[in-house]
Amino acid sequence: MKTKHTVLKLLALFILILSSCSSDPTIDNATMLDGDQIFDASIYNPQDFLVSLSIDNPTTIQKNTPVVIATHGYSASTFEWNEFRDYSDLNATILISQVLLGGHGRTYEDFKNSTWKDWQLPILNEYNALKAKGYTNINFAGSSTACALMLDMIKNREIGDNEMKNIFLVDPIVIPSDKLMTIVGFVGPMLGYFEAENTATEDNYWYHFRPQETVNELLDLITKVRKDLQKGFSLPIGTNLKVYKSTKDDTADAVSAVLLYKGLKNSDGSNINIQMIDSDLHVVTRLEGRNTITQKDIDIQKQVFDDILMLVLQ
Amino acid sequence: MNITKVNFKKNAFILFFITSLLTLQAQDITTSNEDWIGEIKAGIRMQKAQKLYMENGFAFDFTSPKIANNKIHIGFSFVTTRLGSAMGTNAIKQDNFLLNFGYHFRHQKKLQPFFRLNTGYFYADYESEIFDALPNTTLILAADTGVSYEFNSPISINLSAGYNFSAGNGIEGPGTLYPVFYQLSVFYTLFKKS
Repeated sequence: MKTKHTVLKLLALFILILSSCSSDPTIDNATMLDGDQIFDASIYNPQDFLVSLSIDNPTTIQKNTPVVIATHGYSASTFEWNEFRDYSDLNATILISQVLLGGHGRTYEDFKNSTWKDWQLPILNEYNALKAKGYTNINFAGSSTACALMLDMIKNREIGDNEMKNIFLVDPIVIPSDKLMTIVGFVGPMLGYFEAENTATEDNYWYHFRPQETVNELLDLITKVRKDLQKGFSLPIGTNLKVYKSTKDDTADAVSAVLLYKGLKNSDGSNINIQMIDSDLHVVTRLEGRNTITQKDIDIQKQVFDDILMLVLQ
Repeated sequence: MNITKVNFKKNAFILFFITSLLTLQAQDITTSNEDWIGEIKAGIRMQKAQKLYMENGFAFDFTSPKIANNKIHIGFSFVTTRLGSAMGTNAIKQDNFLLNFGYHFRHQKKLQPFFRLNTGYFYADYESEIFDALPNTTLILAADTGVSYEFNSPISINLSAGYNFSAGNGIEGPGTLYPVFYQLSVFYTLFKKS
């Protein structure tokens, strides 16, 4: 009789666990990027965002003008680099390709079904398209997960020698701040998705709900990059890299910069350039949509933008 | 020399001093009153953090019939990536100095489930002053549970999984101190009261 009760209890527990495996979240289509009404603007008008599409036959002058491939992070969209585009339009003569990561800027289901390789593909496509069109001064600026995707491209030698002038990594993620992410493989299938604390503006440009499958993909990506850095690799010849990392970051642990410093070297074996920034923001270059912005945040954003533009125009 | 390095050396010295005292105390007890000692073990410990580094080192374990009738295990361990993931790689060099307090069930049987509380000191060496603003030390508070198996020979093994409550969160605490870990310890019994 006791055994029978134990079996029944175990069966009830099993059913409880199964039933707790969460289904899809309740999405507000009118206000959330996750829904089927709001899409990233680059999906409707890619030619407004990608230099490779906006200029059919570039002139020699255009081919020699610096192009910055600006790429956003996990769950974000092209919006993350709008402020850099606006600032550059006023302060420099450069071209900017705002790349939308694969699987992003669309519906929750599209995001859920994407892998980190899918996320990376549009960066590679734009880079190759710019090379094919004869652009000679290609640069990259990425935030958060885009940095990890670029590091993977560097490791795999998808960036050739003398083919990319500068790489700027803003708050790169190699070590997550939320360490419970490391057990998403256990708890993820039971939870189904994770909810972000977005502002109303952010809900239009960032996913509000993050499918556990994509968190797993992100974990796979940064684990791979960490292991690659552990073994060590170097930049292509003729490519400079600079890291901007806030010291208090609740998304990408600041220790990520230490791993980059130790594991990634310039082509001549020297140390890469790292600037630790006294900030508590993740992605110090994006201020729009945040609840509170201080003068210090504005100053830091301007300093980083000026530094990027100075290095690109050198 | 920066403050962090001074603190590390100071704390490492204190831990070493406490450990030495415990060891000396144990020797003294052996000679003066063997009734106190149930078992003294020394061995190697391998620790893997979930999704991060392998940290290896050594561990000591002590029981007494006068402390909960040998059910409480008091130990000291030192595990480091210097003997694990950081050997010949770019992994961060980090050290864990721990005092362990374990309770063993079925302590007279070969297979003994146990529960353990651990406290101590963590230090990570970032190797450049660029990162001086980042936290690289912390007090460790962790708990683990697992099983111990006593072979007929003077060998025993412990397998456990644990949770570290001091893991970094991007704002506070060292970033490469992860919460979930697994441990394998292989002990050699140096002394056992017959």
